[in-house]
Amino acid sequence: MLNSKKLFILFLVTAMMAFGTFGCGDDGPADDADGEVLIGIMVPTTGSEAADGIDMENAAKLAVEEINARGGVLGHRIVTTTGDDGCDPSMATAAASQLVSEEVIALVGGYCSGATLPTLAIYGDAGIPFVVAASNATSLIDENPGWAFMINSTGLDQAASAVDKFIALGVETIGVIDSGDAYSADLKAQTILQWEAAGYEVVADDTVQRGEVDFSAFVTTIMANQPDAIYWTGYQAEGALLIRQLREGGYEGVIMVGDGSSAQELIDLAGPAAEGVLCTGPPLTDFLPAAQSFIENYEASFPREPGAYAALMYDATMLLADAIERAGSFDSAEIRDALEATDGFEGLAGPIMFTEQNTLARSNFVILEARDGRWALVE
Amino acid sequence: MALHEILLQQLFNGLLIGSFYGLVAIGYSMVYGIIKLLNFAHGDIYMIGAFCGLIFLTIAAPVIGAGWPSLIVGLLISMTLVGLLGVVIQRVAYRPMLKAPRLSILITALAVSMILYNTVMILSAGRYRVFPAEVGTESFFIGTLRFTETRIILIVAAFTLMFILHMFITRTMYGKAMRAIALDRDTCQLMGIDVYKIIAITFFVGSALAAAAGIMAGVYYGTIHFFMGFLIGLKAFTAAVIGGIGIIPGAMLGGLLLGLLEAFGTQIPFIGTVWKDVFSFAFLILFLIFKPNGLLGRAESERM
Repeated sequence: MLNSKKLFILFLVTAMMAFGTFGCGDDGPADDADGEVLIGIMVPTTGSEAADGIDMENAAKLAVEEINARGGVLGHRIVTTTGDDGCDPSMATAAASQLVSEEVIALVGGYCSGATLPTLAIYGDAGIPFVVAASNATSLIDENPGWAFMINSTGLDQAASAVDKFIALGVETIGVIDSGDAYSADLKAQTILQWEAAGYEVVADDTVQRGEVDFSAFVTTIMANQPDAIYWTGYQAEGALLIRQLREGGYEGVIMVGDGSSAQELIDLAGPAAEGVLCTGPPLTDFLPAAQSFIENYEASFPREPGAYAALMYDATMLLADAIERAGSFDSAEIRDALEATDGFEGLAGPIMFTEQNTLARSNFVILEARDGRWALVE
Repeated sequence: MALHEILLQQLFNGLLIGSFYGLVAIGYSMVYGIIKLLNFAHGDIYMIGAFCGLIFLTIAAPVIGAGWPSLIVGLLISMTLVGLLGVVIQRVAYRPMLKAPRLSILITALAVSMILYNTVMILSAGRYRVFPAEVGTESFFIGTLRFTETRIILIVAAFTLMFILHMFITRTMYGKAMRAIALDRDTCQLMGIDVYKIIAITFFVGSALAAAAGIMAGVYYGTIHFFMGFLIGLKAFTAAVIGGIGIIPGAMLGGLLLGLLEAFGTQIPFIGTVWKDVFSFAFLILFLIFKPNGLLGRAESERM
């Protein structure tokens, strides 16, 4: 009796861990009445990455509004529907299936690489072109069945930016830490490879779980090994806590974070400890000369700032509309071919053209530094 | 830092985490002891405590600042409010189920947990929130050991709360009644003990302690969010099992032990931080298999 009850509890605990997901996507209109085309948006609108996700959703809607105002694409109004991937692989597959069943003709979005990864095959099987605005782990390249197009530079480029910056700062030893998901593990692995290839040493290497709040073990290791710099490759919610605890623990070296932590939220959550933190960032909307009118329009439409990835998402949506125009039809295969043939489409974040692997054919990373509670462009 | 210094630092880290686990585990254990319910909503009570503290500090900061004095007031107010919330949950959700099969009340507890964290998710827009406490984060060193004023105050506060609770359980009539009900509810009723009142008090005390732990975690980590209670709920359950579920000193001991196990476990080569939770839950499984009554439980007592 006693043991069977204990076993039941055990089962329950396991079940709770397995189903520890939450939230669900909102239902958009599945209407494809005459004169309208349905485009899917897949971003995290709940969970720890909701801030960036909602910014991206807003940016896509803003782009659609502008496209519709000038007559739509091929004479059709664009309607959008949003699937919430929650930055979680299992939620993302559910959201992807939902979007496919709503019969979207194409998709934009993709923030967390770990969540985007399993959806590529789903969209590939359904034959739906997908313009990936932010996700950039190199693992996406291998999993891409040919229907996804990445307009953010990949982890390889980012690791190179980080390594270059460390060398320029005279750093000789680094500590690296990721959060175990596809994106951050990939960026960490690429960084270690390139750093060691450059002849330097990695003295601390750790992985934490998403949602971790306590980094005391890592901080203790760091204080014991004293690396010149630390590179956090995960997202801002954990990154902010890590920065606080490192500084509180007396670490005085360089702290750099990857583009997953480039949201303003990182600085807000980390408080004064964030001062001087570096970031290998995406082309932040604020620093793009071409994006100033976009920022004004965005802030006029939504009660918030555009955030790190809004410009890329706007570009993704505009690129998709442009590809549909060039394809001259709503046929998925023709849209895909048109995307493939993109040659120097002028986005807010610079010209877009693709490699044979459907990734952006240039590096778009910049180095940012937290100064007075804001990101500032260093180079 | 030499190895023994690293271990000493981790001992201190483990004690702090362990005291959070202990405070939450106490509520788990008390409720289990008295009505044999695994209160899966207990982790969410902890989360609500943290949000209560956040709301109080946001309101109070312009008037009395956000330093230690206002934190203490906030702690007491939040403990009271969350304690009352615990009583209300007990009255509305659990009491009607007391006579029902045990599985029904367990599922009710899961439902309560979902209601609580989904409500906070909607109210907080699912975002991480900065806990606005303004306390010293300057660290000082004794040898190579790192301390901060905040960490020391938090540990002292946690142990003080545990001590007060221990006195309450062992030295007051209410505490005596709780222990009696845990042994035999029906006989207590026959002896004229107001069983439902004592159950309500148990929920009040357990929830208040969880709220205190929530606020302390907010002060320590600096950010809170709606799902923060899920993992600590499971950890506290593990701590309660390790110490012997239903036994209050066991919950404190189990919490501290689990905190220390995690802190040292992460220092074992190749285990690292990512395996921390696996490490904890592996202990849960080992205890369930080899010592299901926990460290302080007696094998002959039929508590289930």
